[in-house]
Amino acid sequence: MNRCTHCDEDILIPIFSDLDSDHKEPFCCNGCLTVFNVINMKGLNQYYEIKKSSDIFKRRSPVETKHQRFAYMDAPEFVAEYSYLNLKKQRTMEFYLEGIHCLACLWLIEKLPEFLSDVETARLDMQKSVATISVKSEGRFSNVARELNNLGYKPHPLKRNQSTHDFRKKEDRKMLLKIGIAGAGAGNIMLYAVSNYAGAPENLSKIFNVISVVFAMPVFFYSATPFYQTAWNALKNKTLSIDVPIAMSLIMGVIMGIYNLMTGVPDNYFDSLTALVFLLLLSRYFLNKIQNDGLTANDLNFFYEGNSVLKKEGNSFIEIHPQFLRAGDVIKVGSNEMIPADGKILEGESLINSSLLTGESRPENVKAGSEVFSGTINLTNEILISVEKTKEESRIGKILKAVESGWLQKSHIVDLTNMIAKYFTAAVLILSGALFAYMYSHGTAHAALDKALTLLIVTCPCAMALATPMTLTRTLSRSSRKGMIVKNNEVIEKLSHIDTVFLDKTGTVTYGMLKVDTFNVLKQPQMSVYSIITSLEKYSTHPVATALKEFAVTMDKTSDLEVKNYIEVPGIGVKGEINGYLYEIRNGKIFENDEVVAKFSLLDHIRPDSHDAVKNLQSMNVNVTMISGDQKEIVEAIATEAGIKKENMYSDMSPEQKLAMIEKTPHSIMVGDGANDAMALSRSYVSVAVLGSLDISLRAADIYLTTAGISHIPDLITISKETMKVIKRNLILSALYNLLSVYAAFAGFISPLTAAIIMPVSSLTVLISTLIGTKKLNRILAKKEIK
Amino acid sequence: MEVLPIVIPLAILLALCFIAGFIWMTMKGQYDDLETPAMRMLLDQKEIKKTTKEITEDKLDPNKD
Repeated sequence: MNRCTHCDEDILIPIFSDLDSDHKEPFCCNGCLTVFNVINMKGLNQYYEIKKSSDIFKRRSPVETKHQRFAYMDAPEFVAEYSYLNLKKQRTMEFYLEGIHCLACLWLIEKLPEFLSDVETARLDMQKSVATISVKSEGRFSNVARELNNLGYKPHPLKRNQSTHDFRKKEDRKMLLKIGIAGAGAGNIMLYAVSNYAGAPENLSKIFNVISVVFAMPVFFYSATPFYQTAWNALKNKTLSIDVPIAMSLIMGVIMGIYNLMTGVPDNYFDSLTALVFLLLLSRYFLNKIQNDGLTANDLNFFYEGNSVLKKEGNSFIEIHPQFLRAGDVIKVGSNEMIPADGKILEGESLINSSLLTGESRPENVKAGSEVFSGTINLTNEILISVEKTKEESRIGKILKAVESGWLQKSHIVDLTNMIAKYFTAAVLILSGALFAYMYSHGTAHAALDKALTLLIVTCPCAMALATPMTLTRTLSRSSRKGMIVKNNEVIEKLSHIDTVFLDKTGTVTYGMLKVDTFNVLKQPQMSVYSIITSLEKYSTHPVATALKEFAVTMDKTSDLEVKNYIEVPGIGVKGEINGYLYEIRNGKIFENDEVVAKFSLLDHIRPDSHDAVKNLQSMNVNVTMISGDQKEIVEAIATEAGIKKENMYSDMSPEQKLAMIEKTPHSIMVGDGANDAMALSRSYVSVAVLGSLDISLRAADIYLTTAGISHIPDLITISKETMKVIKRNLILSALYNLLSVYAAFAGFISPLTAAIIMPVSSLTVLISTLIGTKKLNRILAKKEIK
Repeated sequence: MEVLPIVIPLAILLALCFIAGFIWMTMKGQYDDLETPAMRMLLDQKEIKKTTKEITEDKLDPNKD
């Protein structure tokens, strides 16, 4: 299949530029074509060369060309709230960019200062898709945002919360320092430990021991603090986590090491223990890093804050940011714009698409006096709205608020490792007690204590604690490269228990937009029927008109004909005279002088991969259920096509009903894309948000798919099941090594040297086992998405 | 073995130097973004050339209403 020259999306019906007569460069949509032209016009065509040679890809969606106004970004109150001065005292703002993709995007964004005179510097953080842009003293952020939008990256200004931002940065750096110091300590200690094991003469060995202790102290007292903290927290909550036995071993190791140094006994376990601290910190750091890729819920604003609104001020309209809207304001909303606040229509008649809020796909007619809600899209005509409720007060604001608290309340599970930790700790304590009693009955208390402590140190569950983070790091990093971004490490374990999948319809199983389904010409009209469509519907922004125009252009070459006496009747259709013939498009028919010449039907098409995905899920014994806010017949038609069982179709569901249903089903995944799914998403056992959602706050879901559609859901479940297999195997392997050290301690041949061998070997075994994975897991993770 | 009294302090000194360097770099924020700089270095610093195509700016300017 062809791929779009700009966004690499698979193309169903390719479109070509007028200049590209050989049809060498196909595009999936007009948005991508426009961006391609803009890029070429500015002499930035090197972008496509870099993109071709780059193999670091993130999936993205076709460019949406939406008319957006950015003038609100120049308002002083907006600048004051959203921008800051950087170290060089330049006005700086951070934008989250949709559509950051590969190396070429980096090149394009950082070239901004060269072709946009407003910009001083531009820096892009690829991991987070955040661009930091500072402007010259007379530069305007609105120009920057407009340019970014033209290049195909939808900009969302980020309100930089200075304190939390800095706090996170500091925490991150502190963690790195801890790891670095642990690594340096372990490395240097190993140098001296090896000399001692090799049989250094006693006078040198003593010096080496002193040096070891000196290097070990910062590791135990600075680097290892996270273990003491989590262990202490677990004990305070009267539970046991894997960190408890680790902290225990570390503390015993320090006590024994220092005691032995003072009494002149050469033994210490500093080499093994510092290496262990280093490895554990490192594995946890990487896991954390992968999960925090992209935006966190804290970074997200309400989605509708992306566009400015026209507020009436006296006799004219000014552009402001929706943030500064107040009840009582009068605003003008044009066609295809999102309504930013709840209110009543004062003037105008239009169609409203509320699919984002309710899931209903058919547009609704509104006129003066009708209530409208924020988050819905005004489709056809300009309307004047008197604002009643804004932001958190509005219906969507309340939903998002509930979503936010939902994320926080999400149930946590005790993962496998920590569940085992309980029995492990008990076993180790009992065994050390037994060893002490046994040794005491055969010798002195001092020797018995020494052996018991040694057992506590050498049974440190290092490999066990490594098993899970290492496996998860591999799985999560591989799946994020494939466009499945997992935000939460519990999700993988949770996913393996899944028995039900709830699917949203619009935009998830289907494309989320109307397309021509059937088109029959009954009688050849006087001119090309496709030209009639494009000419007559030229000014209409109704979804039917858009679908028809798109269809006509792909069918045949169309010419622009002159239309006289053009009328659009909202909710009915369009009428006009062309070359003396009266044409009319309404009710799925095209009329010529009141005679039907063509019939058509429209449908929100199902995505081609939906059916297979549903079948795969069902073959895994997963119950697939569709819950949609849409009307019964539409839901049933789509669900049947997708292969969903009759008893699992639910229509006319409000967001609240969806939520109730999710809460009744404990082990379920919710897959959705709209604000109407948000509540259900936030409370479900596992939530998956798919690409294409207008609401970027949904990206805070447990899993965010950077590809549209549900084809990745079966993969996700298989990945989680296979990953759990690897984790279990790792845990068994590490337990075996622990048994070995217990046996050695009882048999009496445990020493720092045996510990120094067993510990790294056990960690290495776990690492190798992780890298080997399982056949199925490797196959799925290796499957290539993009050439 | 006579060399050990010189070599060992030297080794420790060297280690301390590296640790100090690491702390300094971390605090300066050198490790804050590990992905982008690796890619940035692959790009040329060449100035972009403005190419004039037959297409007129007006025709394609999406801002023009």
